[in-house]
Order: sequence, then structure tokens, then C-alpha cells
Amino acid sequence: MKSFFKGGYGKSSNILIYVCLIYYVLASLLAPGFFTMNNSWNILYNLLPLLVVAIGQTYVMITAGIDLSVTSIIAVCSIAGGYVMSSDTSIFSDPESIFFGILTMLLVGMVIGMVNGISVTKFGMPAFMVTLTTMMLFSGFAIWCTQSQNIYNLPEPFVNMSYSFFLGIPVPVFIGVFVLVLAYFLLNKTLFGEWIYAIGLNCEVAKISGVKVHRTLILVYMFSGFCAAVGAIFYTARLETGSPVMGQNILLDVIGAVVIGGTSLFGGKGKIIWTFFGALFMTLLDNSLNLIGLSFFLIMIVKGAVILAAAMLNTLKEKSLKTTA
Amino acid sequence: MNKTTQRILNNSTLVLFAIVLLTFSILSHHFFSFQNFFNILVQASSLAIIATGMTFVLLTAGIDLSVGSIMFLAGVISGKLVVAGFPLWMACTLVLVIGVLFGLINGAFIFKAKVIPFIVTLATFYVGRGLGLFISETRAVNLPESFLKIGSTKFFGVPAPIIVMTIVIIAGHLVLTKTIFGKHLYAVGHDEVKSRKAGIPVDGLLLKVYIICGFCAALGGLVAIAQLGAISPTFGLQSEFMAIAASVLGGTSLFGGRGSIFPGTLIGVLLIQSIQNGLVMVNADPYLYTVITGGVIFLIVLIDSIRHLQQKKLKRLGIN
Repeated sequence: MKSFFKGGYGKSSNILIYVCLIYYVLASLLAPGFFTMNNSWNILYNLLPLLVVAIGQTYVMITAGIDLSVTSIIAVCSIAGGYVMSSDTSIFSDPESIFFGILTMLLVGMVIGMVNGISVTKFGMPAFMVTLTTMMLFSGFAIWCTQSQNIYNLPEPFVNMSYSFFLGIPVPVFIGVFVLVLAYFLLNKTLFGEWIYAIGLNCEVAKISGVKVHRTLILVYMFSGFCAAVGAIFYTARLETGSPVMGQNILLDVIGAVVIGGTSLFGGKGKIIWTFFGALFMTLLDNSLNLIGLSFFLIMIVKGAVILAAAMLNTLKEKSLKTTA
Repeated sequence: MNKTTQRILNNSTLVLFAIVLLTFSILSHHFFSFQNFFNILVQASSLAIIATGMTFVLLTAGIDLSVGSIMFLAGVISGKLVVAGFPLWMACTLVLVIGVLFGLINGAFIFKAKVIPFIVTLATFYVGRGLGLFISETRAVNLPESFLKIGSTKFFGVPAPIIVMTIVIIAGHLVLTKTIFGKHLYAVGHDEVKSRKAGIPVDGLLLKVYIICGFCAALGGLVAIAQLGAISPTFGLQSEFMAIAASVLGGTSLFGGRGSIFPGTLIGVLLIQSIQNGLVMVNADPYLYTVITGGVIFLIVLIDSIRHLQQKKLKRLGIN
């Protein structure tokens, strides 16, 4: 039954590819300025942070959990990195400060993820409540720490990261692809990945079968924190500031990208590549509607409707698969 | 584990409530007064009404994230209508109708299309807020005096918000404990498949539950704006999380089938409101409010989960 579902969902990712393609063609024809070099870069740079954060969320959702705290992790990482790197507050000189700044961001992300993971596993708290309260806690903490002020004067090389190249490839693309490949490899080629699916399908059975449930879950939440931290690096570099409200509005996009990709909130199914196309679709939607000149609240309505439609299609498909079986 | 610790763990919310009250009473001599407790009740009325609706949804193992958006949208529409010269009663009725409609939409998607509540209400959350922002043009809607008057009206010395809150809580409590509908609710929350087999009309029940939640959200929004006098673009933001937190603090399980409105949810609401009121009383840094509220909720959920783990362990020992 389970492998059957996986087969069924393999097709769904194909459909999503076509949907993305058709939408791309339509947007190129209808939205002025969509099919230009400049806008393609725009799409790419909007896609990367969303994709990275959504990949972490996919991991958590496969284990039947949810991580609502990603936005607050982005905010805390952004200000932590900002403090370490900004020439106003930094104790390091220029080149080292970037290294330590990025290191701090990744560490902060993973530590918050670890707090989530330990609360979920060792204390058996529901993931929804844990990440909801850590979201309140850490986003409140970020705003309190900075007294709602942005952190400016980040070092030049860090800010220019978005526009610098490594081996002919833009650095952010390099990082994004690295995270994508790493996530794909971990999930599909390692025992760790198999354990993640096993926990999502049935936690009790997994435990009896010898899966180290606690350790795996903690690592999953840490990975989600890590991904959010990478997202924070992208956003902080692009906005050239450390901001305590950074990423506040992307929770819908993140969860939307994962759900449109077909990952189940009940756990056990989901693929990195589905999330990739889910994130791509959300970005295309956002970008093209912006170009047409829709206001941001109308875009909000459209996005909500699209997520609902995607979720309905998934359930319908599941039903038809069940009846044909 | 001895009996006293067991008892403390079993009533963790009450114990924490007492600690919170005690702490603030020591820190500020204005906190522990009849007048202030009265204030807390008035301030808590809106959240209590919303949380009552939320408790119904949580009992069926569902969730409603669209509550804050319903409050906002309903408030904006009624505000615009009143400003445009419509009579007050008409605007208020329309608000409640909008709440019911939203609940109907949520419920229909959940039981007709079988989409899980989290996604449906996340979508309606964005649709509702988007519509509200569109109608209000992202500006604050200032309400006329007549609206504020409702908020400060008193019957026999009791402010109107407290009366509305009391009616909603009593009604909710009676529906849950005295009617077949209430019993069915718990059954569905415990095990939907078995309830269906037992002949409980699960679909209609779910629809009703989301309608109740939507209605309560609109009513709670009305009570809140009658006290505020204006609707800012951020009105109702995160209200759904506060309502969920209040229900959970009051002992309602997110997995359905367990919980109560009275005393459960009411205590949760009063606890949250006391913390927020107390922080104002002791002149805490406003930026710290969310940190402390979040921290306390985290602590209570933590204690509750530890208690469950302990009970499981005890049960296992008993069986062995």
C-alpha cells in the first residue's frame, strides 16, 4: 500500500513540472517584463532562500511533524550574524568576521532546531505546540534584543555575495544546489533517510524495529534549523541588513511549497524534488502577479486559493487511486 | 513519585496560575486589586469567546488557523458599513453572518473535499486577511462613538463584554456536557472511524463545529473592536495562536477527544491575560511580552507532556 502511494505520487510531481512549464509560458506571454534576463535573475534569487527553507520543512513533515519556528529562526540568525559581522559591533576584522558571522548563523539555527527536537522527542511535546511557542519566543527575543532596530554596515564582500561568482556560477546558486544535493543524498541514499520515512509512516513500529527515533528526530529538526539559517544568510546578504522581522511573511510560502509538492502532513511521504517544483511554482506565481501589478494582499488571496486547490487535487487523486485499486 | 508531586503535576496550569498571580502581586501593589481583576476579565472576554469556539474544533482533532482573519475581515466590513451610515445592529448581524459563512467554507472544504483542516484554514487565513486588507486599503478603520458605547455599556454594573463572555462560556459548556452533540464531539475526537461506524453523523458534526468556531471568532472580534474603537491592519494577527494556546493550557488535547470549556479553556484564557496585564502593571519592556508569554506557554505544555510520560510509565509498571 505504501509503495503504491509512492508510485502514485511520482506522477504527481510530473504534473507539477508541466504546471510550472505552462505557467512559465503563460506568464511570459501575459506579464510584461517576465521573460527578461533581469527578471530571470530575480526569480532565481527569490527561489533560492524559499527552496532552502522548504527543504528543511520537507524533512520535518516527512516525520509527521511541523516546524512553524522557521521564520523566527531566520530572524534570530539574521541579527546574530549581523552583530558578529557589522563593523559597528564586530570584534573581528573584516575577512574573519564574515567567516565567524556565517558560522554563528548556522550554529544558532542548529541550536534552535535542537531545542525543538529535544522538546518533541525527550519530553513528548506535540511538534505544533513546541514550534509555535519557540516561534513566539525567538521572534520576540530577536525584536527585544535589537529593540526593533535593523543592523547595518555589514562587510562589503558578504553583501556582494549575491553578485559574486565561483567557478563561473553565482555563489548563492552554488550554496543552494549544495543544500539541495545534500538533502537529496541524505534522504535517499542513507540509512538516516530511511529512518526518517520509517518514523513518518509509523513511529511505534519504527521504534520496535530498532530505529533510533529520538536521535533521528532531533537531527531532523536541527537540519530544518540549519536550512532556515542558510535562508537567513541569503536574505541578510540581499537586504544588506540584519533585521529582527526578517522572513516573517514567508511561512505560508514555505508550507505552501511543501504541500503543493505533495508532501503529506501526516508523514511518511515526500520528496526533495517535489518540494523543488513546489517552491518554483510559488516563486513564479509571486513574481508574475507582482509584475501584472496586483497588490500584495490580492497576491495573498491568490496564493491561499492555489494552496487550497493543490491540496484538494492531492486528496482527489488519492481517492481515485484508492477506488481504482 | 509521591502523591504531592503527582497532584501538583496534575494541576500544573492552576499551580502556574497561582505562581503568576503571586509574582505580579509582589512586584506591583496595583496588580492585586478588585478593580484590576475586573479589568483582566474585561480584557480577556474577546479571547475567551474565540477560545471557546477553538475548543470545539480542537476536540474533534481539528484546528482553525483562520480565526484571526475572520475577526479582522468581519471587523473591517462592519466598520466600513457603520462609517458609511448603516445602522449598528445591521452591521453587527452582518459580522456574525460573515463569521458563520467563513466557518461554513472551512467546514465544507474539510468534510466535502476531505482536505485536512490545517491546510484549509491556512488558506482561508490568507484569503480572509487579504480580503480584509483589500477592503480597508491597509489603513486603520476608525469606528464612530456608537461602537465604543457598546463596549462600555453596563448592565447592573457588569460591563457588556463580560456578560457576552459569560453567556458564550455557559452555552458552550452546556452544549459540550449536556447534549448528544457534545457527546458525539468527544467520540469523533477520540476515534473518527469508529464513530462513523457507530452511526454518528460525522460530516454534519464537523461542519457545525467549524461554523461554531467562525461564529465565535466574529463575535470575539466584535467584542474586541467595541473596546478598541479602531481596527488596525494588524488586528487579530496571531489571535488564533493565542486561542489555541489558551485551550491547550486549559487541558484540551491537540489530538482531540479531551478537554473542557469550563473550567479548562477559561483558566487558560485568564492565565494568558493575567500575564499580559501583569507585564503592563510592572512596566516591563513591551518587546518582552511575546517572549514571556511564549515562555510560559512552553513551560506549561512541557509540564503537561512530562506528566503524560510519567503516567505512561506508571501504567506500564502496573501492568508488569
